[in-house]
Amino acid sequence: MRNRLNVQPQSLKPPSTGNRTVRIVVLVLAAVVLLLAPLNLPPFANQTLVRIGVYAVAVLGLNIVMGYTGQVNLGQIFFVGLGAYVTAYGVKQGWNILLVFVLACLIAGLVGLLVALAAARLGGLAIAMVTIALPIVGVPLAKRLEGFTGGSQGISARFTDAPDWSGLYNDQWQYYIILLVTAAGFLLARNLVRGKYGRAFGVVKENEAVAASMGVSPYRIKVLAFTVASIFGGASGFLYLAAVQYTSPETLSFGHSISLLAAMVIGGAGSIAGSLIGGAYYVLVPLLTNAVDPGLTTVSQGAILLIVLFLLPEGLVSLPRVLRRITGRNRDRRGAGDPQRTVPATAAGAAPEKQAIQHQAEHRAIQDQTDQQQTIQHQTGRQDQA
Amino acid sequence: MRKNTRPRGVLGIVAVAAVIALSASGCTRGGTNQGGGSNAASPGITDSSITLGITTPLSGAIAGQGTCTVAGVTAYFGALNAAGGVKFGDGKTRTVSIKSYDDGYDPQKSLANFQQMVSDNVFAATAGLGTPTNRAFREAAISQKVPQVLVMTGDPLFSDRKQSPWQLGFVPIYQNEGAAFGKLIAGSGQPHKVAILSQNDDYGKGYVQGFKDAIKGASNISVVGEQTYEATDTSVDAQLTQLASSGADVFFDAMSITPLAIASLQKAQQLGWKPSWFLPSNTSSPAAILGPGGAAAYPGIYSVSFAKAPQSPAFAKDPDVVKFLADLKQYAKYPDMPAFPHCMWSYMVGATLEQAFKTMTEPTRDNFMTALRNVKGLQAPLMLSGTSVDTTTDGQPAVSSVLVQKYDGKGYATVQNFG
Repeated sequence: MRNRLNVQPQSLKPPSTGNRTVRIVVLVLAAVVLLLAPLNLPPFANQTLVRIGVYAVAVLGLNIVMGYTGQVNLGQIFFVGLGAYVTAYGVKQGWNILLVFVLACLIAGLVGLLVALAAARLGGLAIAMVTIALPIVGVPLAKRLEGFTGGSQGISARFTDAPDWSGLYNDQWQYYIILLVTAAGFLLARNLVRGKYGRAFGVVKENEAVAASMGVSPYRIKVLAFTVASIFGGASGFLYLAAVQYTSPETLSFGHSISLLAAMVIGGAGSIAGSLIGGAYYVLVPLLTNAVDPGLTTVSQGAILLIVLFLLPEGLVSLPRVLRRITGRNRDRRGAGDPQRTVPATAAGAAPEKQAIQHQAEHRAIQDQTDQQQTIQHQTGRQDQA
Repeated sequence: MRKNTRPRGVLGIVAVAAVIALSASGCTRGGTNQGGGSNAASPGITDSSITLGITTPLSGAIAGQGTCTVAGVTAYFGALNAAGGVKFGDGKTRTVSIKSYDDGYDPQKSLANFQQMVSDNVFAATAGLGTPTNRAFREAAISQKVPQVLVMTGDPLFSDRKQSPWQLGFVPIYQNEGAAFGKLIAGSGQPHKVAILSQNDDYGKGYVQGFKDAIKGASNISVVGEQTYEATDTSVDAQLTQLASSGADVFFDAMSITPLAIASLQKAQQLGWKPSWFLPSNTSSPAAILGPGGAAAYPGIYSVSFAKAPQSPAFAKDPDVVKFLADLKQYAKYPDMPAFPHCMWSYMVGATLEQAFKTMTEPTRDNFMTALRNVKGLQAPLMLSGTSVDTTTDGQPAVSSVLVQKYDGKGYATVQNFG
């Protein structure tokens, strides 16, 4: 528990400069690692990281509309596919790649806006129904619009081969493209959900009537969230084509939308970091189940899904929190022979528990009976033991 | 309080990711430098073994067919490995190991599987089923010079040498099949009215194109009705009702969806329309489609094939079939009677590969492709007499000759004449 050292000053004087330095150092370190990693990793690791980036952006969009705003969206894969097709078409036409990227985001966002304008008028589950329709309509549409989509044979477009001047391998070049877009996307999303729109998303999710009474139009916020999600979907589609260099109607099949949803829940709904974990889950679990037994991928994927949801209902992003809770409890047991200390802490939320840990740290030397009881109070939330 | 913990959670994750990335960065890029010495062995082949990879749908709607594509090759080489291995053209005897990967018919996953194959040091990708899934890694295979051969797609692109130098299709392209049936009824000399229902994509269009080319100029054949459906449709009742009213006595049904094929066999009976049917090879399984569809009610169900059907009583005692079923059971964990022809096709893929292995003189992918493109007149086990493997013609898959067959209530028997 090295974290304990950070916890104390943080709780005593919140905007601690020491803590900020640590954060900046860690962030810089992470950035350096992310930048240098592809140069040292084998191609397959890079290719896998690339695909994680692709789906992390898609899950991130889904998280904004579902995790943060609470609107069920089962059509996210449609926007991914749309972005991929726009990109493929643009590349085939020889347009500037930046223009293609902007178009992939814009067109997906525009379609998302149009759908949302209509769908957000409907309540709760009706939105879900409308979004189900998207991939279901999208697949036959992609097959029929042969001029744009290449029909059921799909369309390939290569634009992410490393240029000669870079001296990089293709997988490294792709990695940097995707790192750039993904990092920008995550930064934008983080700022969005932490600002006034994030708060508006949260209120709309909790209670639309309350939102309206606070002067926040639930309709507008829903449309906004849906549109932003579609833009992220389009960006993800662009990345999809950068990574896969091929798209076909299979890309936007409805089943993948459900997989994206599962990835979001597994990663952590309403969490930016959870979206990244969700993307990793989407990509890594099929690899893992393939390695176990390619004939049983569906069964093992279902099993993993159930296990994660049972053990970590808030998603994998809550794992550090849960671990801290468990290790904290264990230390309590070792720290004092008092059998009452083993009282399960399930009734208490994460925050009071942390307080308990802090208390312990502060008074470890003294450790008198009163303090212990105080800790128990925090853990159990009951007063009667005092 | 909660607000303070958030960024730390994020930081923790970033830190963990960083540690993983750092620890993994010990690995370096190597072993993939191609085109060095011409005699240096390609990845995936040693003096005693060779590794092949298959990415195919093992889950989802076409898992049945996909499982078969793995089972056939595995059974074929399982038997050879048990007997010591394959004697290659360079004089060394190697065992053949098969790695299979599930792509669930998702192009993105099949590309991922291909990338994994490369990192797993697979010599060549083979036998995978599906047009989009094979197309998804076609360009990657070309740029990395990894053979993607004898794949199960009727897409002609894979047999075009200029566009696909490292590819080769195995099964007949769609046009081959449609043409074989067209030729049969055109040669019957009798007047026939044909109704056509086809899937609105390259699959259906390929069949119809082959069929129409074959009946061109045959005055006894007239097409009286033509309808299409989408691969995503769940019913073709409307199209069937329309076609039934055309009074056609022959129904050319270019359909690739198993449940739809069963439903249309049933629906036409309900409508009282009983034409002679044509069904493509991958939707004409006696056990999986014709039985449930009540096909015995029709005067004739025709399909094309190049493989002996194990279900057919005519082949029950055929030595090829007996050995095939035993190999499937023993080496591929596939104890049942194969429900899809892909099991047989994939077994023949094994035989074709063996032939190429026998003639390749250097353990390189380049040399393998040369050897593979040089197989001619190979009568692989389970092949019907009159068909053979021929990889020497540009634009044609390894098997381009098919025979028209008629359903006899249990299996299929080759027919020379229509009626």
